[in-house]
Amino acid sequence: MAGKWQLKDHEAERALFSRRLAVAGVFVLLLFAALIIKLINLQVSQYEYFSARSDGNRLHSQYVPPARGLIFDNRGQLLADNQPIFNLTIVREQVGDLEETLDYLDTLIDLSDDEREQFNNRLRRNRVPFTSVPLRYVLSEVDKSKIAVNSFKLPGIAIEPQFVRQYPFADLAAHSVGYVSEINRAELESFDEQERENYGGTNHIGKTGIERTYEDLLHGRVGYEIVEKNNRGQVMRRLDRTDPIAGKNISLYLDSQLQIVAEEALGGFRGAVVAIDPNTGGILAMVSKPGFDPNLFVTGISTKNYSVLVTDEINTPLFDRSTNPYPPGSTVKPFLGLGGLQHGLVDYEFTIEDPGYFRLPGVSYRWGDYTLRTAIGGGHGHTNLQKAIYQSCDTFFYDLGNRMGIDTMHSFMSQFGFGENFAVDINYARTGVLPSRDWKRETRGEPWYPGDTINSSIGQGYMWATPLQLATAASIIANKGKVVQPRMLKAIDGEPYLPDIRDPVSDVLVNDPDYWRYIEESMSMVVHRAYNDVFREYGTAYEAIAMKDREMPYKMAGKSGSAQVVGISQEILQSEDIQVSDPNKDHALFISYAPAENPNIKPQIAIAVFVENGEHGSSVAGPIAKSITDAYLLDILQIDFAALDSAGEELIALVDE
Amino acid sequence: MNNQDFIRQSEGLDSKSRYTQSIWRTIHTDPPLLVGIIVLCGLGLLVLFSASGGDVPVVRRQGLTMLGGLVVMFIVAQFNVYFFRQWAPTLYAAGIGLLGLVLVVGVEANGAKSWLDLPGLPIFQPSELMKFVVPMLMAWYLASRPLPPRFKHLFWSAVLILVPAALIIIQNDTGTAIMVTMSGIFVVLLAGIRWRIVIAGFIALLLASPAWFIFLAQEHQKNRILTFFNPYRDPTGAGYNIIQSQIAIGSGGIYGKGWGEGAQSHLDFIPESNTDFILAVLAEEFGLLGVLFLISMYLFVLVRGCYIAYAANDMFSRLLAGSITLTFFSYVFVNMAMVSGLLPVIGLPLPLMSRGGTSVVTLFIGFGLLMSIQTHGHSRRI
Repeated sequence: MAGKWQLKDHEAERALFSRRLAVAGVFVLLLFAALIIKLINLQVSQYEYFSARSDGNRLHSQYVPPARGLIFDNRGQLLADNQPIFNLTIVREQVGDLEETLDYLDTLIDLSDDEREQFNNRLRRNRVPFTSVPLRYVLSEVDKSKIAVNSFKLPGIAIEPQFVRQYPFADLAAHSVGYVSEINRAELESFDEQERENYGGTNHIGKTGIERTYEDLLHGRVGYEIVEKNNRGQVMRRLDRTDPIAGKNISLYLDSQLQIVAEEALGGFRGAVVAIDPNTGGILAMVSKPGFDPNLFVTGISTKNYSVLVTDEINTPLFDRSTNPYPPGSTVKPFLGLGGLQHGLVDYEFTIEDPGYFRLPGVSYRWGDYTLRTAIGGGHGHTNLQKAIYQSCDTFFYDLGNRMGIDTMHSFMSQFGFGENFAVDINYARTGVLPSRDWKRETRGEPWYPGDTINSSIGQGYMWATPLQLATAASIIANKGKVVQPRMLKAIDGEPYLPDIRDPVSDVLVNDPDYWRYIEESMSMVVHRAYNDVFREYGTAYEAIAMKDREMPYKMAGKSGSAQVVGISQEILQSEDIQVSDPNKDHALFISYAPAENPNIKPQIAIAVFVENGEHGSSVAGPIAKSITDAYLLDILQIDFAALDSAGEELIALVDE
Repeated sequence: MNNQDFIRQSEGLDSKSRYTQSIWRTIHTDPPLLVGIIVLCGLGLLVLFSASGGDVPVVRRQGLTMLGGLVVMFIVAQFNVYFFRQWAPTLYAAGIGLLGLVLVVGVEANGAKSWLDLPGLPIFQPSELMKFVVPMLMAWYLASRPLPPRFKHLFWSAVLILVPAALIIIQNDTGTAIMVTMSGIFVVLLAGIRWRIVIAGFIALLLASPAWFIFLAQEHQKNRILTFFNPYRDPTGAGYNIIQSQIAIGSGGIYGKGWGEGAQSHLDFIPESNTDFILAVLAEEFGLLGVLFLISMYLFVLVRGCYIAYAANDMFSRLLAGSITLTFFSYVFVNMAMVSGLLPVIGLPLPLMSRGGTSVVTLFIGFGLLMSIQTHGHSRRI
């Protein structure tokens, strides 16, 4: 036993242990020293860097979008409002696996493929990193709570309140007020630096109509705020804020009540109505039917809804008929007649003997009188300018046009806005075509033929005009040559708006102001000249308008028109009993203004009605213009014509004394 | 040294200090160690309060766990260290038995099938017990043999360490297996194993590590190592933890952002801020000064542990105390190094700071053994 323990030297072993413990102690100190060096490196040397990183983690500068300006009609009715909704948004940089997250969201709130695709499109746009991108607009209460409950599993996903456009009247004036929709890539790319900044917090932009024209006014200026966000992107505190400047509230000349009347008056027809106050140029109503619900576009129209709107080739609801051109037909006759007087080609006594057709010297082709094609044949007989207008005699105008020539016709008609856009703030309106030699050479590469002039003189052939242009031209006659350019915007934030028109249009001047009275009288006869025993001596619209309302308290000046849609020869139409299918029927047109021939009150409303495939200008389009005029003069302005007349007589009596 | 001389010297000391010393002796408690532990516990609760976002129940539960730990420590300290020496082989055999049992009827939690839910006992991890049972057995085995240990003793030591380590690895708890192995190796190192063997082993380990990385390492282990070398290879995934914790530490600066003002932790950028990454919270809110204070408190406990090992009057006590102290240091260092980016991320808690239950109890059993060595060993000698 002693031998065994002899080997164990307690003091030596203890010394050995103590040495080892000392070595361990040295290691401990060395390792702690290494740790402290690392900590000094992090907390002292790199303090600035990590401090900035820490701030970068939590502090986020974000845009505060301005409230979009509201749009009112001229009576203070809201046409475009802002409404709060809740959006589901994603900050891409804070989401790990995007597909996985979307799949998980799908189990919660059922994402459609459409939504996923639209979201991916939004992601692909140029955007500022760490900004939220909407996945779904208008989150329901149920979906909201499902997201909220699972928010800890959804980093980078948030529910954000937002104000979006709402159009309380839905499809009323949808084309002229327009709509906002999501900013697309092309729009973003067209922005300059400043605009891009200003739209940093904005998802929507005006796409059509007023929303687009006055985008700059309506949008406002973006604000900024610095917020502290946690790891899941939730805003914990607001630290600094620059308030946005809201967009301007604007008022239009548009009268929602008149707009409703106009839309109802069009009934089931496709077509357009434009009504203008000739005194201000203010557009009182601007209808294109069928309409659409602009609210669909605000929060991203579904592919299904959109395809319904674009695949309807006959109704084309998105197409704005009020600013797109059609052949104006006989509605151009009063203007040409005035041109004839002005250029000395006709006078009040000038007459033709109308055989029912016109023939160019040395040409066998006969230009028939369209207005007579369904009647019993023959001509208007003895016809002066007045009769040519109220009876809409084509032959008279074939002759007048032929003698006037295309150059004079072009320069005279252009004063009324044909071939041009007189509108102050409807820059998207088309200019139509007022044909000329130059125009034909440029677009067709062909010389002008005398026959082209003949077609143009009844508003056919190459001549195209928009309902807006026709209403504008009517308002110029109503104003006896004074041009008040049409406009939509009436006031900004309650302050009357006076547009700065860069190149004002000059008024139409004629040699003898009595020409205006003569034309007004002729147009008044279109509506009011009654049947008498003489063959074809009544106004074309008399039967449809004045005969139906014998108590009409005011006079209306008007002119009907029908425009051929397809070139069906009138021989076929007359000789054979064929059914013309609906889309091939003529377009019906009517222009008017009222009150006419009233010494006590100036005209208050000028109207153009266009009824697609409406067939008869006088009987289909005319009554529509009549009911709109009634509504405006009698219901909205509440003019008491009887009182006016007696007051006028008193005035005259007073002057006589 | 003559015992009589020692007593005479002791009697010459100030009577008051002798009196107090004897009081602590009687209740088998080491005052410096206790002070160090309590300061660390207090600091831990303070940081946890902030890290948990002022969650009082969490802090209260942790405080109660710590109190329970102190009680366990006190109970363990009452046993004479020779009791543990006597029972070391039995405890070891029982430990191996329980590890075997875990393989059969173990309960799984957090990916490791290491829990045992025996009727009549609270649910516990036998592998945790091995953290002090293995050094206890090694101390028992080597203390009774001539030192430095012979080669054959080293061979058996390796077997005795690797058997429980292997069983723990089978449970899929690599972290604990490594710490158990380390605690055994510390005993062998302190027992005076020759340096050339140590160096040879170290070189062998270095040479083997690429092979381990290529053939044996699991995907997540490879990821952790690659992330350690470049956290930004996957900044939102594998590298996220270490990047965010470095941001927290670095942005704390010298003086810190103040208690409860750590933006990184309060806005949830630091993952595991209550447990493994709690150092990042402390560093962010109390700055470099706070971390230095923490390190000095740990150092204080370590120095006391080393002193207890140094002053112990037999080799078993020395080896056991040394191994416990160095194992404690390993935890502290590995956690701090991992959180600050000096080592790859390994899931180890920071002793007395991180929130957690079982590891705290194991820790206090270790402190109890140290106190037992300090108080019983000397009283027997006197």
